[in-house]
Amino acid sequence: MRLSQVLNRQHIGFMFKKHWVVQGKRVPIDTGVEDVLKAKGIPVEDALEFIKDEPKERERINIVGPFEPPLPLDENHPEYKARPCFTLKSTNVLLEGISQAQVLTKTIIAENRLPPKIEELAEMPAPTAIHENIKKAILSANVFDCEQKKLPKIKDKDRPAYNFPRILGITDKRRNQILTNRLLQLVEKTSDSEVTQSKYVVNDVESQTVFDKEDELIQFQDVSHILVTSHKPVTHDLDKDVAFKEIPDLYPVKHTVTLPPEHFYSETSKYPFRPSVSVRHPHTTWLHFNSTEVKNVYETPVTEDQILGRSLTHAFTVASAYAKQIHGEDVKDLPEPIYINCIQTDGQKYHFGVLELNTLNVDGSEGTKNIWYSKNNLKLYDSSRYFGGMPVLENYNNKVYGYINALYNC
Amino acid sequence: MYLNRVHRTFPKLKKIITRPQSQAALAEQNEYTETPEYPPILDMSLKARKLRERETLYQKIKEINTVEEKQIALNMPRYYGWKCVMFNETRNPYNTMPLVQYYTRSHFIPVDKLPDYYNDTEEAAKLVVQEIKALVEEAIVIENEGIDRDFPVTNESSIESQKTNALAQSIVKQINRIITNNLTDKLDHILSSQVDIEPRHEAFWFVGGVDPPLEVVRWRKQYPWLKDTYDDPIDRPVQYIGTPMLTLRGKLPLKPIIPYSEAENPEFKVPQFTHTPKTVGYFETHRHGTNIPGYWPGDYDEFGLVSYHGRGHIRGESFGDQDNLEALHCQAMKASFGWLLAQANYQGFTTYNDLTYPLVTQTVVTNGQLWSLYAYQLNTIEMHNDKFDSNPKNNVCFGTKPFKLYDTIENGKVQGLNEEVLKMLVKFYLNTPEERDHDMKPYLGKEEQVVADIEDDNRRSWLEARYKHLVANRPKHFLLPEVYLWEKIYKIRFNTRFFEAKRRPFEKNVNPFNRRLDDHLPPYIPKVLRQYPRSKKKFETTYYPKV
Repeated sequence: MRLSQVLNRQHIGFMFKKHWVVQGKRVPIDTGVEDVLKAKGIPVEDALEFIKDEPKERERINIVGPFEPPLPLDENHPEYKARPCFTLKSTNVLLEGISQAQVLTKTIIAENRLPPKIEELAEMPAPTAIHENIKKAILSANVFDCEQKKLPKIKDKDRPAYNFPRILGITDKRRNQILTNRLLQLVEKTSDSEVTQSKYVVNDVESQTVFDKEDELIQFQDVSHILVTSHKPVTHDLDKDVAFKEIPDLYPVKHTVTLPPEHFYSETSKYPFRPSVSVRHPHTTWLHFNSTEVKNVYETPVTEDQILGRSLTHAFTVASAYAKQIHGEDVKDLPEPIYINCIQTDGQKYHFGVLELNTLNVDGSEGTKNIWYSKNNLKLYDSSRYFGGMPVLENYNNKVYGYINALYNC
Repeated sequence: MYLNRVHRTFPKLKKIITRPQSQAALAEQNEYTETPEYPPILDMSLKARKLRERETLYQKIKEINTVEEKQIALNMPRYYGWKCVMFNETRNPYNTMPLVQYYTRSHFIPVDKLPDYYNDTEEAAKLVVQEIKALVEEAIVIENEGIDRDFPVTNESSIESQKTNALAQSIVKQINRIITNNLTDKLDHILSSQVDIEPRHEAFWFVGGVDPPLEVVRWRKQYPWLKDTYDDPIDRPVQYIGTPMLTLRGKLPLKPIIPYSEAENPEFKVPQFTHTPKTVGYFETHRHGTNIPGYWPGDYDEFGLVSYHGRGHIRGESFGDQDNLEALHCQAMKASFGWLLAQANYQGFTTYNDLTYPLVTQTVVTNGQLWSLYAYQLNTIEMHNDKFDSNPKNNVCFGTKPFKLYDTIENGKVQGLNEEVLKMLVKFYLNTPEERDHDMKPYLGKEEQVVADIEDDNRRSWLEARYKHLVANRPKHFLLPEVYLWEKIYKIRFNTRFFEAKRRPFEKNVNPFNRRLDDHLPPYIPKVLRQYPRSKKKFETTYYPKV
């Protein structure tokens, strides 16, 4: 410190520091009380006499707290199972996408083809009023909804450290929720009342299926964002003389790659509807692809192949959970095939599929196989957003509605 | 001074620019009239001058063309937002009914059945109920017992209340699905209506006639010329925020329940509640006032039909039957008024420019088993300080007590389904909206009604972005101005630092919150981005409405 530096008395840090120093060196003032008391004959005792004993040791009290702290999830946990279960959740994708899904579910694929009845129904033209309403629904989901939540961070790959202003808007979850529900409502509004009365629609229900494949335990946990169920199981007449895409060999990749092993799981499958419900037979299941939620285990972006794989595993999860509810947990080859329709969408692109579930014995690649008919990448619109302050909907494709309607009415 | 300097640089400019002052006045042909024409005599008292100032503001807001600009204009006086009384849909403390009624200007009529207005659809409703009865029973059973599902739980409210609302929502979705599917073929308005799930409802208005808080009285007492106004009532900005479980809206408005002339009926009474809202448990926050009926301006379907609200916030026995009933009524009045006010704002009316026709909505509050139904007619939205005692109109709310839709569920069967309740609900859907034979948007422009209609690209984009930014109520980049505690002790309460330079707002006797929305530097234009060849324009243009 320079000798010439001025120490301001009112410098706030300095002031407090000095204040502490002064207050810390307090000297007890002789108030003269002792003399007065002594003069009156009242004995005066030294306060230090009372604190000279060591303080008594007290027992520590075990405070329970407002709730029991959860046990750490490790080997000592009572629910811990030594055998790992390879788990696929709806927020994860398979590394090899559709090929790995084929191996896991033992499925052959008829590409770009749906059952003839659906193709027939999809050709039927819908009234203009419906298309107007669909355009309204698309705009309402992308433009006119008032949600203002943080959207994902914008990154520029040339300057990755640059922070762009965070944009508020409609999240992909909300957009898909609005759009798919509106589409389904429109389909129901145009369908006959006998058809709608024999169906039931629920949102966000979970299915879970657990199975063995080549001595490894695998489980799929999936959420149907919309699940349409019906009084009777859905059936399809299928062409069998189709060039199927056979089950591929994944070598050198193993089929459980990117399925994280878990040690806490339930060994029973779960179908959301109880057996007592009469409209419990799954008809169509809708799956959203929310790019903010669905991620690879590694940081690479999700590829188109992986998205298609999601459709197949999702349909398989719901169908097999339902099959196990009917035929019991240990069923292998099903007496009658179970069909389920599946629609996956990220709002713009629609992937339609129909699964014929023949067997739950997924070991190897021989014997009875499941069949997956699919028609992928149908675009509902090119873009819909505020452009220069104006709501915009570009290139609406009226074919997509036909397929959604056909899947509902088949 | 500036002109002088220019003249020095360009001496010839002086000859080109003619001075307006020196122009010869045009000789009026008839400068003299037969009888003298005096300018109007104006009351020049302080109160009257201030009133005229405010009235010009109201007039200016009325003359703005687009919805969004009107909303920005409402917020123009406050950079940091208004100090709003927060009217949350689910916050219903004890004894709030008088306050809610006064703030929404609602006359409440308790009824056992829906008003006569719904009698036309009695027969049709009966038929529909017979058709859908079995489906509704099935849906109730499935939602209660037939499905395994885990509701996602957050920390925002009690788990019990969230579960109640989630179950109620799934039942409401099913019943709405059943009724709309049944009625689509019969009624056009159901086919084209839009269903919103958990939309964002917000509304903002001013309530006058409220006692001034102590600080205001103390402030007034500093000035001798405010002597007569010490206890004059003040305006309170009020912000409603709610999230219905499900709403239906369509292109046309519902018919009025009672004729519009009845709005001034003196029999409709609203209690006067002038105490500060803190006394019953409504608190204040700084925020920009927002009016949002669940969609942005420009959407096709602008008028509400039905909205469903949860009642998970209703406390059990600790609150008492009467208190719970009042809480339901309060919730319904707030929700109905809030939604209708936001819709009215999209038609170009604001809290300063009153409605010219009534609007109607129907509100249902339910937990799946108990259903209370309300029909609300909005007649007036003008209740700010200049109009609170001179505006004779009142809003009207008809409300029932909660009815049980069914008694119990036993062995997978619904016991005692109350068809009357279902019929009332169906009547809400059968209530057909109609086109009105008057101008729906008298205070909006003919060509420009929303910002998207504006021709000028820059202005349109700027206004759109500004409006969305305003209503998002994002936290500011800089913290709000505040008086630190140490300042309060060492500077305000005890003047211990008298020798310091006085730089803080409270030392300079400045209220930092007294700042207009446009009181900021517009974004800077870097030199490289300026217009070619030479542009001295350093800052971007702003397009705030001129009020």
